[in-house]
Amino acid sequence: MLHRRIYQFLLIYALGISILLAIKVLVGLSDYVIPGWESLWHTAREVMGRYLSDVMNTLTVAVIGQVVSVILALLIGILGRQATWFGSFIKVAAYNFQAYPIVAIAPIIFILFGDGFLSRLLIAAMICYFPLLLTVVGIMAEPIYDIEHFYRQTGRMRWQLEVKIRAFENLGKLTTVIAGSATLAMAGTIVAEFIAASAGIGYSIRIALYQSDLAKILVALFAIGITLSVYQGLLELGGNLVKRVWSR
Amino acid sequence: MSLRCRHIHFGFSGTDKILFHDLTFDWIEPGFHALFGPSGVGKSSLAKIMLGQLSPDQGQILADNNAGMFYTHNMERLPGWSGIGRHLQQITPVHNIEKKNALVQIFGLSSLLNHRFSQLSLGQQNRINLVRYLVQDFDLLIMDESLANVDEKLRGHILVAVKAMFPKALFIYISHNVMEVATFCKQIWILRGAHKTPQIVKTSGLDQKDDNGVEQPALQRAMLEIMNAS
Repeated sequence: MLHRRIYQFLLIYALGISILLAIKVLVGLSDYVIPGWESLWHTAREVMGRYLSDVMNTLTVAVIGQVVSVILALLIGILGRQATWFGSFIKVAAYNFQAYPIVAIAPIIFILFGDGFLSRLLIAAMICYFPLLLTVVGIMAEPIYDIEHFYRQTGRMRWQLEVKIRAFENLGKLTTVIAGSATLAMAGTIVAEFIAASAGIGYSIRIALYQSDLAKILVALFAIGITLSVYQGLLELGGNLVKRVWSR
Repeated sequence: MSLRCRHIHFGFSGTDKILFHDLTFDWIEPGFHALFGPSGVGKSSLAKIMLGQLSPDQGQILADNNAGMFYTHNMERLPGWSGIGRHLQQITPVHNIEKKNALVQIFGLSSLLNHRFSQLSLGQQNRINLVRYLVQDFDLLIMDESLANVDEKLRGHILVAVKAMFPKALFIYISHNVMEVATFCKQIWILRGAHKTPQIVKTSGLDQKDDNGVEQPALQRAMLEIMNAS
């Protein structure tokens, strides 16, 4: 699973670079617009170490933001699973909030909290929170009739058991969504860094952009992609492990 | 235990289709009885109405019971996170543990207790599901195709044993198998389409109580009565 994630990314990255180089050759663009292999290799050797460190910085914020989002989404999803006015309120609110582009709120967050860790964390958490919440509410609000029937009839159903049944039956879906939300958390953090922060890979990309240095941006994309692939692969492995242990 | 249904009218909301029109029928004594009828006539819906899981548009259900009233069907599953032995242990009231052990033997499940539900065949799944209802305290158990996919011989053995173990309980057996219903059930209510009057009619089965079988002419007569009525 982990190696599949990595080689899928490497294939896509190689394909993207090849297309860029093909365009460069076909249109006859200069190294200033699209760098050649040599320039890419040289830049990679020069900045890869620093960029990997920046990516780890960004990933740390993204992971914390994602954990906060998962916990919040689980809490709200569990509360909002019931067919009560509160459950309906949570669902309607979640659907409406997630329709709004959270990135547009980012400037307000930077004004209120400055350009440090907290702003990046908040934006990362907000960007991956709503899609997570929708899925968790969807899963938790959907009864598994053929399992729950017995417990309801015999008066054994408790909210903890209900949550356990629904989580167990949808563990694959939950794992996929949590792994997918890692991309969102990472994207949120990078966007935050790109807008105003003073650290992380988004900040480095912003500098590269000001220098019009596509080679640096491509190296940064490689560092982001490979790190995210490893992280998502690990999340999926963790999900499978939980399912195996739970079903043992 | 008795169950009386009076002038039940029912149609699914959002449709004009009437499922039940003025159904009146009783189960007034314990025993193994049947609700029979063709597919789609509303047997499962009627079972849910009898237990209050669906509300009729009109009519009354009068139940005289002290313990539980349950409805079990053949699509139920056990949770996947534990073996069936552990699950049975957890859901069996302490005073029914011996009953559970006896039922596990009768139902031929002893060798399967360490298995997961998903590892069992359909017949085994249905048997284990039925056992977990039988170990509860109940007055009425509606069994909706609960022994589907169980071979005929074992099914007969199970039905006879259950009747002997629970002489005071009222069982309502929903099945499409005419021979099975005619052989093992006492009172058979036959549910027919809403256009027929009366929509529900009663006939009698042979109520077999041992593994020795029944007389063929009597069985054929009972089956013929069921077929004529339905």
